[in-house]
Amino acid sequence: MVKLFLCITLLLVAAPAQAMHISEGILPLPWAVLWYALALPCVALGIHRLNALAKEDLSFKPLVGLMAAVVFIISCMPVPVPTAGTCSHPCGTGMAAILLGPWISSLIAAVALLLQALFLSHGGLSTWGANIFSMGVIGSIAGFFTFKGLRTMGVPLGLAAFFAGLQADWATYLATSVELASGIRGSEPFLPLLEKILLAFVPTQLPLGILEGAMTAGMVMLLYRKRPDILVKMRVLSAGEAAENG
Amino acid sequence: MHTFSHTPHSGTFLATIDPRVKLLFSLALLLMVISGSGFLLPLTAAVLSLGCCFSSGIRLKTLALRFAEPLFIIFMVVLLKLFFTGHSPLFSVSTFGLEVTGYREGWQEGLLIAARIIGAVSVVNALACVTPFTGLMAAFSWLRLPQTFIDIVLFAWRYLFLIHDDARVIYAAQKNRLGYCDYRTGLRSFGTLAGTLVIKAFDSSRTITTAMEQRGYDGNMPMLKHKPFRIREVAVSLTFIFCLGLLWKI
Repeated sequence: MVKLFLCITLLLVAAPAQAMHISEGILPLPWAVLWYALALPCVALGIHRLNALAKEDLSFKPLVGLMAAVVFIISCMPVPVPTAGTCSHPCGTGMAAILLGPWISSLIAAVALLLQALFLSHGGLSTWGANIFSMGVIGSIAGFFTFKGLRTMGVPLGLAAFFAGLQADWATYLATSVELASGIRGSEPFLPLLEKILLAFVPTQLPLGILEGAMTAGMVMLLYRKRPDILVKMRVLSAGEAAENG
Repeated sequence: MHTFSHTPHSGTFLATIDPRVKLLFSLALLLMVISGSGFLLPLTAAVLSLGCCFSSGIRLKTLALRFAEPLFIIFMVVLLKLFFTGHSPLFSVSTFGLEVTGYREGWQEGLLIAARIIGAVSVVNALACVTPFTGLMAAFSWLRLPQTFIDIVLFAWRYLFLIHDDARVIYAAQKNRLGYCDYRTGLRSFGTLAGTLVIKAFDSSRTITTAMEQRGYDGNMPMLKHKPFRIREVAVSLTFIFCLGLLWKI
């Protein structure tokens, strides 16, 4: 009963969404190293893929840099979350994953996270690997494959983008909770602590996932209506599908 | 955004130190802070680092904003640890007929994590405060971070403020036209804002590439050239690391 009361109390604490970044210094060294080891190969894959694209078209490097700036800005925009009575910030990785694929999206997240760690103290250098893994890798993979899977099943573009954004956000939240629970548990068992952390972030992360989904859908539909050529260039749509739009 | 745009005073002693020395020193200190098991080193690192931050001319408000999120995380972690970890009761409070117990072991573990967070955040803030961005990226490049990665960071940094200005103008225009009057409309407006920024990014990338190609851009950004290491800076840094290493042992 007491534990339930404490969980409810923690739920009532307004948790800003930057909490999805694991703060500098929170992870012990072995865990920090492990998350680095898992995240860096994915970023390396993104770099490899970008280098290949840049050989064909030199504008890809500036494009990815600008997309990193867009993701950074979007993740700093305050949007009210009614259930938590506070403002939250989307991640933007679902959006990047749909347009540029999961590996380049991981690279974009790594860049945005480095800038945030150095100049905003959101995340950190020691937790950079963990944050890349949760937001960049897991978020991008979840978003990308949800989008591709739903599109293959014939789901409309906007709806597929909505679920891609939603999945990217919730997958990031789940991965961050796992990283946090494993990092701070000390001698405590892992699963009960994970449950508490998941519960503590429910008030912001559930509505935030819907916000992220709506934002991703809005972005994709705007591109579809105004600039389908971008979606064709990024291989989100085939030229035939874009032509249907007129 | 002003949290972000602090530029170190170029005339201060710390700003003139080789960025590679500052980066290596900070990384070594960061490693010691997160791998230590005592309070002394993280708190000493915090005091030294905050001193460096203030010597760079950073405003207290900016620094406080940068610490807001880590402090919130500390609050959450200490609460989680205090009430859910340990066996020896530290205090007990009756609220609404329920007895809430805080545990001694949880309190100590929570405080240790809090000290580590404060120490580590201070170290990274000090590094960012006393090192110009291009110098820091050159130091990362010297540490063998892939050139493509550094290029992307430099592009992002260069156009961050321009995209932020665009975003601010669009956001203000939407807000003035009741674009965020309710949750549903707000979601639609936010999607439009994100889409417009993506379109701007695509269009700008073409223009930027054309302009850069005319100035000889071949896919690689030029980096700052490093001068040789100055013996005195390296020796002082090593001495500091050695002394802090002794605190790490305690």
